[in-house]
Amino acid sequence: MGRVSNRLRTSLSLRVLLSTILLSSAVIWLSGSILDSRVSAGVKQVNLDSAINEARSTIVGARYRLILAKSSTPKEIDALINEIISSATTVGARASGRELVLLRGPLQNASEKDFTTTSNLVDPKSLPKELRKKVRSTAQLNWAYMTIKYAGSLQVPAIAVGDMVSIPRSGRYEMYLLFPLANQNKTLDLISRSIIFADIALVILIGLITWLVARQVVRPVREAARIAEQFTSGDLSRRMRVTRKDEIATLGNSFNEMAASMQTQIMRLENLSRVQQRFVSDVSHELRTPLTTLRMASEVIYSSRTSFDPQIARSAELLIGNIDRFERLLEDLLEVSRFDAEVAVLEPVDFNLIELINRCIQDLDLVAKENGTQIIFTPYSEDLPITGDIRRIERILRNLLNNAVDHADLKPINIQVEYTEHDAAIAVRDHGIGIDENSLLRVFDRFWRADPSRSRIRGGTGLGLSIALEDARLHNGELEVWGRPGQGAHFVLTLPRKAGNSIESRLIRLEPKDYPQR
Amino acid sequence: MTLVLVVDDDQDLAEMLGIVLTGAGIDVDLVSRGDEALEVFRNNPPDLVLLDVMLPGLDGIEVCKQIRAESMVPIVMLSAKGDTHDVVRGLEAGADDYMVKPFRHQSELVARIRTRLRRTNTDLTESLTIADLKIDVNAHEITRAGKVIALTRLEFDLLVALAREPGRVFSRDALLSEVWGYRHSTDTRLVNVHVQRLRAKIEQDPEHPEIVLTVRGVGYKAGNQSK
Repeated sequence: MGRVSNRLRTSLSLRVLLSTILLSSAVIWLSGSILDSRVSAGVKQVNLDSAINEARSTIVGARYRLILAKSSTPKEIDALINEIISSATTVGARASGRELVLLRGPLQNASEKDFTTTSNLVDPKSLPKELRKKVRSTAQLNWAYMTIKYAGSLQVPAIAVGDMVSIPRSGRYEMYLLFPLANQNKTLDLISRSIIFADIALVILIGLITWLVARQVVRPVREAARIAEQFTSGDLSRRMRVTRKDEIATLGNSFNEMAASMQTQIMRLENLSRVQQRFVSDVSHELRTPLTTLRMASEVIYSSRTSFDPQIARSAELLIGNIDRFERLLEDLLEVSRFDAEVAVLEPVDFNLIELINRCIQDLDLVAKENGTQIIFTPYSEDLPITGDIRRIERILRNLLNNAVDHADLKPINIQVEYTEHDAAIAVRDHGIGIDENSLLRVFDRFWRADPSRSRIRGGTGLGLSIALEDARLHNGELEVWGRPGQGAHFVLTLPRKAGNSIESRLIRLEPKDYPQR
Repeated sequence: MTLVLVVDDDQDLAEMLGIVLTGAGIDVDLVSRGDEALEVFRNNPPDLVLLDVMLPGLDGIEVCKQIRAESMVPIVMLSAKGDTHDVVRGLEAGADDYMVKPFRHQSELVARIRTRLRRTNTDLTESLTIADLKIDVNAHEITRAGKVIALTRLEFDLLVALAREPGRVFSRDALLSEVWGYRHSTDTRLVNVHVQRLRAKIEQDPEHPEIVLTVRGVGYKAGNQSK
């Protein structure tokens, strides 16, 4: 059932076919039944008219002959009645020929001979009482539909037409002529069956025609849908074939025009962004050579600063420090442009994550001490082999640790590592100034600073966390942040242990364990 | 005195390199065009070449190939691009080492150059064998069945490092520090490229190496000595 309704939803031609069949069935059934009833009414009327005419001539003829025989003996009258019956009916042809019934009316000379008779043993009781009453009470022909019951159990539908006749001396008699309708009903049945048969054939034919027409319309539509799908999935060169000049061809032409204009637009945009990325990359590279010269020159000056005035010596320090910053900024910019150009690639190697974390902590140890904090990490195990881009993972860790050290506010920083067969998670928790809700959403934005009025303690580029997030995503990993003002921040990095896999589960809850639960 | 040929089209940088290297007691020849480099190289053979990748006249990769074709002198590429593709291209052209601009510290530059210039430890009159190769460390010569195989100095150093400790598996990091003199670097591409090149020269069938073996997930080790 579900499959059928699904097919109905997905197939236009099936839907068209089905509704056409339903509607045409209804119309055809209606017209068929009207036709049927009109035809059968006509046939019945014709039969009735002829029955009445025949009955009239028979009864009128019988009446005259009986009047003429008023001086005959009962025997002669009997013979006359037999003759009338045999000329009006077919003896021995039960159920198919006419029958005649002669019944003695009321208030008669009971002493005289009763000429009541029926042809072919028709049971007189099968005549409807209504009809008999009307025949007896009116001076005209009356008729009614009835069922002839023969002696035995045979029954046949028929028209009964009757009137009164007088039989000399015996009195008034009801005379009925019965016209079996077996043949008429057979004809009507045949007509109904023919109409039904024609109806069914018509519905099937209409169905077939609809199917063909629907296919003619739907095929190009389906073709258009297929091409549009391919177009959407990136094959911008797909076009519809237009061979005719109908509405479908108009659709095809419009589609092709749209596709062409989209292709040009997309190519133009692609080109534009390629040019822009190329520009950023070129600028960064072009800057490198003079920066190298600057750097070497400043180092030469710096190395002999002891022989300068204190002011010049300090200037040399500032010079070299800011060249460092400039260089880091340039590196980060270049990295961001690689991410934007989607040319950043993973270069996975096997390494021990715990060892890498320890190395990063060690490198930052001094800075942490200078900031009045310390980084606490007590792993369960000294060995956590993973496959990943060590350069990028190291960069994520350094960025997170640097960030934590910058915001630690003289309180310790905790590192937590959890892992399964499949994933590894690292959390960096500081208990410093924290992050408010609005800022949480923007922490990973480029060049975003939590508090613009707050002077930077150390020379970060403002791109660190944003690059860290991109690095994590490049590993199919996730980097998330939790923070509350005054309660510190919690960064959780989850990575698949094998580069190329996706993470299965979050191993560390984002809300830190030490945060008081409501 | 040691002579370094600096090929760089940026006049200022070349001059600055000259100042720094001279300060470290190294003589410097400066060339600013790729197509002039080879001539200067031939006229006055240096002990080491510092070669920029992007050069007018002839590009650095091409210059590197040509120098390598006629000399085993150490070549250090200078590149403004740190992308894998450029680095590998430089190494495949025959460079022993590369430095991405801007160099972290001038001391790093000088240290790298010194490592490349350092003679392999020759206070021992050493003769090593590795598989079917004979290594005369003093003469800086490798022979197979009496036939000399020419290696660059770096390839030689790499092979000697492996041959000296036959049982040891060297991680790529360990090789970087022993052969290239890096204190800590995570760029193991250097090692991979050079091992490939070394194999191409010394292995009978580089596809199925018998002298420099790969230990999956760890690094490299010397092949069976007693063969």
